[in-house]
Amino acid sequence: MIGQLLSILVLGAMISAVYALVAIGFTMIFGVGGVLNLAHGALIMIGAFAYLALTSTAGTISLPPIVGFVLAVAITAGASYVLYAGLVSYIEDNIVITFLATVVVALLVTEVIIIRFGASPSQLIPVVAGSITLEVVGTRIRYVELVAFVVSWIAIGLLWYYVTKTDEGRSILATSMSRRGAELTGVDLETVKSRTWLIAGAFAGIAGVFIGTLQSTAPEMWLNPLALAFIIVVIGGIGSIKGSVVAAYLIGYLETASIEILGPSFQGVLSLIVLAAVLLVLPQGLYGRELVHE
Amino acid sequence: MTNEDNNTAEYNSTGNETVGRRTFLAATGAATVTTSLAGCLGGISGGGDDVFRIGHLGPTELEMGRGAERSAQLAVDELNDNGGILGQDVELLSEDTGGAPTEGERVTENLIQQDNVDLLVGTFVSEVTQGIIDFVAEMDVPFLITGSADPDTITENHGEDYDHYKNVFRTGPINSDLQAEGMAGYATYLNEEYGWENFSILADDAAWTTSFRDILPTQIEETDGLSVVHEDRMSVETDNFTPFLDAADSADADVVFRFIAHGGAAAFTSTWAQNEYPFALEGVSVPGMSPEFWDATEGACLYETTSQSGAGGVAPLTERSMDFVDAYEAEYGDEEPPSKPMYMGFNSYDAVLFYAEAAEAADTVDYESDLDAIVDAMLDLEFTGAAGSVSLYGPDSEYPHDVRETRTEDGIISNFPITQWQPDGDDGVVECVYPQADATADHVEPEWL
Repeated sequence: MIGQLLSILVLGAMISAVYALVAIGFTMIFGVGGVLNLAHGALIMIGAFAYLALTSTAGTISLPPIVGFVLAVAITAGASYVLYAGLVSYIEDNIVITFLATVVVALLVTEVIIIRFGASPSQLIPVVAGSITLEVVGTRIRYVELVAFVVSWIAIGLLWYYVTKTDEGRSILATSMSRRGAELTGVDLETVKSRTWLIAGAFAGIAGVFIGTLQSTAPEMWLNPLALAFIIVVIGGIGSIKGSVVAAYLIGYLETASIEILGPSFQGVLSLIVLAAVLLVLPQGLYGRELVHE
Repeated sequence: MTNEDNNTAEYNSTGNETVGRRTFLAATGAATVTTSLAGCLGGISGGGDDVFRIGHLGPTELEMGRGAERSAQLAVDELNDNGGILGQDVELLSEDTGGAPTEGERVTENLIQQDNVDLLVGTFVSEVTQGIIDFVAEMDVPFLITGSADPDTITENHGEDYDHYKNVFRTGPINSDLQAEGMAGYATYLNEEYGWENFSILADDAAWTTSFRDILPTQIEETDGLSVVHEDRMSVETDNFTPFLDAADSADADVVFRFIAHGGAAAFTSTWAQNEYPFALEGVSVPGMSPEFWDATEGACLYETTSQSGAGGVAPLTERSMDFVDAYEAEYGDEEPPSKPMYMGFNSYDAVLFYAEAAEAADTVDYESDLDAIVDAMLDLEFTGAAGSVSLYGPDSEYPHDVRETRTEDGIISNFPITQWQPDGDDGVVECVYPQADATADHVEPEWL
């Protein structure tokens, strides 16, 4: 029993960090631009497939994993920016059109990936190979899980520093609190939005490489992270970065615990129950107050 | 890729383009006339023209289905080079079932009622086979199953109402009851080689694994000293396999027999290999049969095994095997995967040629009037195909019209070859490791054990 608890504690901490990355990007875009980016999962997929194309031993480039990782993150950030500047910025005032357009982008990316890589799943080369056995806990941890945990927390930490300690970053936070207020204090909305999409894309790229390594890299892999992002963001409070981190850990632990105790078929069930409960009891989420409705 | 226009390609490949198209128009015309007359005549057999049409059913967007479709085409080309079937030209019409019962039903109805096919081969997913079988039985079109292996398709149909289902056959692979027996024989072999005693069985929660869940544990434990220490079923949605592998590990399993057919197999394999779990990975992995699985898992599949008819195209199971594989590679080796036929390819190729030989023996392909003659000819036929010898169980056996297993002198099932991914420099290579008579290399254990 203690082994099981420890195992939940360790495995849950690892995966939750990646979930937090997924949700933060999604929530920032909504908080700043009011855009529900349904292509967020597709960005995560782009990260995984960019890494696959760059590092696969069967591919033409076969870069070292670390280099491939950095490039994949850069490519995803770029894709996210292009998505904003090339499409979303023209239609973002109309919520429904944006909603539909981003779904279309997600489906389009899926099709392109099927054409280019085929429908069957691939595995990514781990950024760091090997694993350690935790005898007491009764499970094994791959080094790549540890790396995912550390890198995610570094990214979250940097973002935290950026949005609380620098002027550029604080303008993002300000915009997410009150767009009009931010504009009145001289914040350039366009720059803030572009920057937000770049950051969200980079986070999606990091998450994509790790989700692709730990689970599988396939043309449908965007759905699950998107659903997770939704659940986490609603529970944490839409637009709140702190809320996303807390809710990501809540959902990550809930999933890990239901897998360990009830079995893997129950992975998503508890999260959905919690989601329904939160919607009923606490519709603004745990930290929903940072978003001021205008 | 998903919208490959296979039919057009195949019409063209039968001759030069103009003639092909004209034949096509004539054939379509004839089919339309036949169909419109069908109501009056009470039949829809396509026997009116000089073309013998074969409908192929499979998930052709997957490697398995694509390999099967191409292999059936190779068999058709081979027949046409040798004068066709009873003097008729042979034509392949391939349909994508998408692996879904509803789509399978739709395309099957089209093949039978609009294209007037004279023969159906294929179906990979057991649920698709079960979905179309009543309709096919009703229409009397001979149907040779070449992919799905669940025994219920036979026992719950032929076993209940033989006359109704007598146009349905399975020419390969052997059904999964027999596969389970073969797997138990393989467990004994592993025990003799390595002294492994504790087995874990992890099976997809799907129809095709029923025998492995129900029969295999008892059969393994029939051998002295062997025990099944862990069993579980995995949802086909799962892509997190750590809990299953942890459980097998804490049960002290020496071998995990996993039966997995969906894309998560790559994640399963990587989780096992990267964590170097202290057991061998054996059983059946459908994605693991792909000649491209080495690349898909970045080499993590090293040392894992899977059973597959045709032994991955690496072993001369019969004098026909390598000729078939060579022909496949010459024709499709440079195109999109799979670069070898895969198991359903072997079975689809064999099924087409098997039926052609039976039709020659019966001297008829008119299933509407002469179904009994065709059925008798098939039941009497001893055929050597690319995957092994094919002969069928008779009406009174436990599995009527199902392909018979072949056995060695010791009674071990032998048409159930096991292949393993083995090291080959920096790369991996598929070797046939069991049964020993067909083996191209010895089984190797993971180096971390």
